[in-house]
Amino acid sequence: MLPKFDLYMPEDFVEACALKADGAKPVAGGTDVFVNMHGGKDKSARVLDIKRLKELQGQRFSESGLDLGALTTHREIEVWDEIRSRYYAMFQGCSQVGSVQIRHRATLGGNIMNGAPSADSIGPLLVHDAVVTVAGPDGEREIPLDKFYTGFKKFDIQPDELLTRLHVPLPPDNAGSAYYKYMRRNAMDLALMGVSAYVEIEDQHFTSVRIALTTSGPTPMRSYSAEQVLLGQPVSDEIIVQAAETVEREGKPRSSWRSSAEFRTRLLHDITIIVLHEAVQRALKPVALKAEAIPMRQYPGLDGLKPRPKMEDVSCSM
Amino acid sequence: MQYVEINVTVNGELYNKTVPANKTLLRFLREDLFLNGVKEGCNEGECGAFTVLVDGEPMNSCLVLAAELNGREVLTVEGLAQDGRLHPLQEAFIEAGAIQCGYCTPGMLMSAVALLNRYPHPTRAQIRKEMEGNICRCTGYTRIADAVLLAVEKMDTAEKNQSPQRNQKVLAGTKK
Repeated sequence: MLPKFDLYMPEDFVEACALKADGAKPVAGGTDVFVNMHGGKDKSARVLDIKRLKELQGQRFSESGLDLGALTTHREIEVWDEIRSRYYAMFQGCSQVGSVQIRHRATLGGNIMNGAPSADSIGPLLVHDAVVTVAGPDGEREIPLDKFYTGFKKFDIQPDELLTRLHVPLPPDNAGSAYYKYMRRNAMDLALMGVSAYVEIEDQHFTSVRIALTTSGPTPMRSYSAEQVLLGQPVSDEIIVQAAETVEREGKPRSSWRSSAEFRTRLLHDITIIVLHEAVQRALKPVALKAEAIPMRQYPGLDGLKPRPKMEDVSCSM
Repeated sequence: MQYVEINVTVNGELYNKTVPANKTLLRFLREDLFLNGVKEGCNEGECGAFTVLVDGEPMNSCLVLAAELNGREVLTVEGLAQDGRLHPLQEAFIEAGAIQCGYCTPGMLMSAVALLNRYPHPTRAQIRKEMEGNICRCTGYTRIADAVLLAVEKMDTAEKNQSPQRNQKVLAGTKK
């Protein structure tokens, strides 16, 4: 049973900001907040439902990129064709959140503001260089997503401000991205480890690289030093392995009941190789083929990460 | 305690009710409308036994407030059968032996309805992916997937014979 609370469902943005500044708990999909409330972890006496605010609604794809309202659900990203062909990592991240039911409710803005280090949509947004817009009664500010996180569940946002929109620039035709989520079961699990990568390739050289790590620190984070290893270098297995070793040194995963820090660090290395390979392959494909899944490539020494069998191949005897 | 007045359509019938602000859709359906098909499992959105369709989309009724539902349409497992005749999915679940204790079944059926609205001829992989949020602890998922495929066959045959077996109310209640 949910604790008793007063519910506010304003349509006016300034009114919503005032309520938030006054201590009301903002709720969009409620897939984190209500879970915490059921569990007794969150006892907010006032709940602010922000789903009626027009400033946070709508999503559009144009020549300048994606303009996403903070209320965009993961399901909307998952079934959107342009996302698959241009922002494949976002498709991979958003389609692996929870279950279909959760994805119909859970919003991108909520995934950011919940602040979990394991958030699946954030790594892909980081590597696609997303910029968030926060707005309050005094106007709006644009902040690059990697600067928006200031610590564990801490953000560059004032009490009277709300996250309103996300802008994701349009990647060029020679770009490719990938996200890999390692989890113990195929659905309804948090990322034990996740790595996202975005590369642009020209004449077989990395001309732009972004790598983001999930569950590797207090917030989802970029691995800037690994990006520097690859930048300007010709594409090769050796340089990708070097980048993976740098990621392994830069990531600071913790031990938890899900897994030990040692295992997570090993995963960082192996998954970085997988996503970089996938992103490179996708970057080399023409735009029309970028939406296709790329089979995972096995490297020597990757014995710990065998590809999962295809669902058609799984036979269960009854 | 704050109360909210809502007008909500459930299984084709319009209800005007006053609900406490903190009441979930699940409790509203079970306690106010006595629709006990929707089940409370974990109450955290993990198990899928809570699945109902809101405006045609599967949602976790334990994490949705009843107060949000003003003007919206809800379909529960009770709304599947029509004129005393089971929905093809329900028939298929029985015939394929996809039920054991039955606790997950209402949620499974609602997820399957949503699945077939999106993919009328799903592959086994699509069934597994779209129904990943429903957990069954008895029969395993193979027979459930078998049942969905059997239901597709039944619906196709019914369509060929132009019989009105395919549930019109279900299709009407889902905005695509």
